Amino acid sequence: MKQGQVSTLNDKKRHTRIVASVVIPLISICIALGCFVAFALAQGTSLEGLYAALYYGVLANPNFLTQTMTRSVPLICAALAVIVPARSGLVNVGGEGQLIIGAVAGTGVAVSMGDAGVGIIGIIIVLLSGALAGGAWGYLCAVLKTAFHAPETVSTLLANFIAADIMLYLLYSPWKDPDGSGQPQSKPIAADLRITTVAGLPIAFIIVIVIAMAVWALLNKSRWGFAARVVGSNPVAAFRGGLSVSRYAHSAMLLGGALAGLGGALNVLGAEGQLRPGLTTTFGFIAFLAAFIAGTSIWKGVMYSIVAAAVLVGSNPLQLRAGLDGNASYVLLGVTCLAIVVISRKTGRAS
Amino acid sequence: MIEIILAGGIAVGTVLLLPSFGELVTERAGITNLSVEGSMLAGALTAFIVAKTTGNYAFGFLAGAFAGMLVAAVFASAVVFARANQLATGLICWFLSLGITSVIGNSYNGQAIHQLRQIDIPGLSSIPFFGNIFFQHDVVVYFGYVAIAATAWLLYKTKTGLIIRGTGERRAVVDVSGHRSSLVQFAAVLAGGLLSGVGGAYLSIGQVGNWASDMTNGYGFIVVAIVAFSGWRVSLTALGSYLFGMSISAASVLQAQGIAVNQYLLDSLPYIITLVALILASRTNSRQPEGLADSLSM
Repeated sequence: MKQGQVSTLNDKKRHTRIVASVVIPLISICIALGCFVAFALAQGTSLEGLYAALYYGVLANPNFLTQTMTRSVPLICAALAVIVPARSGLVNVGGEGQLIIGAVAGTGVAVSMGDAGVGIIGIIIVLLSGALAGGAWGYLCAVLKTAFHAPETVSTLLANFIAADIMLYLLYSPWKDPDGSGQPQSKPIAADLRITTVAGLPIAFIIVIVIAMAVWALLNKSRWGFAARVVGSNPVAAFRGGLSVSRYAHSAMLLGGALAGLGGALNVLGAEGQLRPGLTTTFGFIAFLAAFIAGTSIWKGVMYSIVAAAVLVGSNPLQLRAGLDGNASYVLLGVTCLAIVVISRKTGRAS
Repeated sequence: MIEIILAGGIAVGTVLLLPSFGELVTERAGITNLSVEGSMLAGALTAFIVAKTTGNYAFGFLAGAFAGMLVAAVFASAVVFARANQLATGLICWFLSLGITSVIGNSYNGQAIHQLRQIDIPGLSSIPFFGNIFFQHDVVVYFGYVAIAATAWLLYKTKTGLIIRGTGERRAVVDVSGHRSSLVQFAAVLAGGLLSGVGGAYLSIGQVGNWASDMTNGYGFIVVAIVAFSGWRVSLTALGSYLFGMSISAASVLQAQGIAVNQYLLDSLPYIITLVALILASRTNSRQPEGLADSLSM
């Protein structure tokens, strides 16, 4: 008798928990999508247009998966660039700038190689230079934090705009392709430096997944990862325990920036083939939101980045089929993220 | 040329000054609103559309203020009442505003509108040098002067200001003394959004006379930095805003003079100066409202 009562109580609790963890998020995301549809309709789109966009963007798009994987390369890298510093208590909102600097450095090195036919070694050098540049860009903000107490949230945010201006300067003046019909873009990168696909899988995507595994191992299985987590969760205890807080802050931002820089270079070699403005517009911020929603879990971060990439790819035909401006996908991502952040606030604060 | 740069700096600085004071009030109430940029964008586009269609600039500014407040209301509802993370919500609201204004503003790109009329203040404007710099502007610049005094008065001389500052330091104390601290925060964020909207409106219909997607180009984030390195003080926030106005106006004046520096390198100047100022100020800064301590963390 008593046993039964207890189990009914538990059942009730379980029911409320299911309602809280499944139904409420579902409803919130539906509301968010509803808001987007209402916005699209207010802009003079028809429901048929929206459906056509969805149909041609996802269902009738044979390359949907490949495109999503390609798009997700810079997003995953930039999300990792948020998660690694976050483990040691730093907020890196500079993924955007680190992606750009990585792409700039990678392009610079790749273009200067020309058609030298350096192949795989050339690719490695290009990727390393991208990672190095992105790492240096992130490291700078870590030093500003430890040496001058400049809040890294603000400094990484400002560094994004400086990085974008550096790229625009290069593209409008010294690096401008003379054969680019006046467009601000760099010379195309030689074909043997481009990263292609193998059996329909973009190689850049495979590289990124391998890197994500390595980062996971580093954070969860290594001494450095453990120490970085201690520094992040309790700096005082770490300090008393003889760990140099600033050293871990430096190395975490260096690694984070390097991951984003690598993503920028991979994106140029794997997807774009040349540097142009708007290459990674707002990808760094989308990745930040994906990483934020993921807490500091690497696999969730990777997953949400892929989802965001799928949304970006899937909403591509919105412009053509539904007559909406290309930026409409930001509205879609924005309302969805807002819904998720509001409902997941407790896990968000705990992490 | 110095006069031109300084006078231009006061005018451009007003674009930053109004949002800065909005953000100052918001942060004094213990909330960091990163979507200032979003409010400015919304204000800029709405003001442009309304001013263009009605031909009435006052309506334009009112509509811009309302649009800025609307973005802030979304942010405040999520942050104050649902206790969502401020950093993420701020970025999302900016993101949303960027998307929405780009979509709606698409058909307004490249349309022009004439800028605000200059009103010389009788007497003061004929003071040599200073008259030129401070008293030969449009009405919004003078509104900016009033806003400085009004914010200082509000924050330090009124009971409302005391409650706002108290909310930023210790919410619980304000609650115990019989005020609803969450309502105070909500109102402070809305006030910030309103001023950001006016700042954005001044950029589009007051200063440049057109609309372009993403035209605020990070000014909203500079605003957050200005408030931080001014140490949450009224005087330094005002000074910082005008100094940044001057660095932006110096960049454009130098370019107009034909000094051959690349436009994009000049564009990055305000961000670099902001970073340097942040570094210089952060070493001595300990006046941060207590409630802001982890407002920009994940």
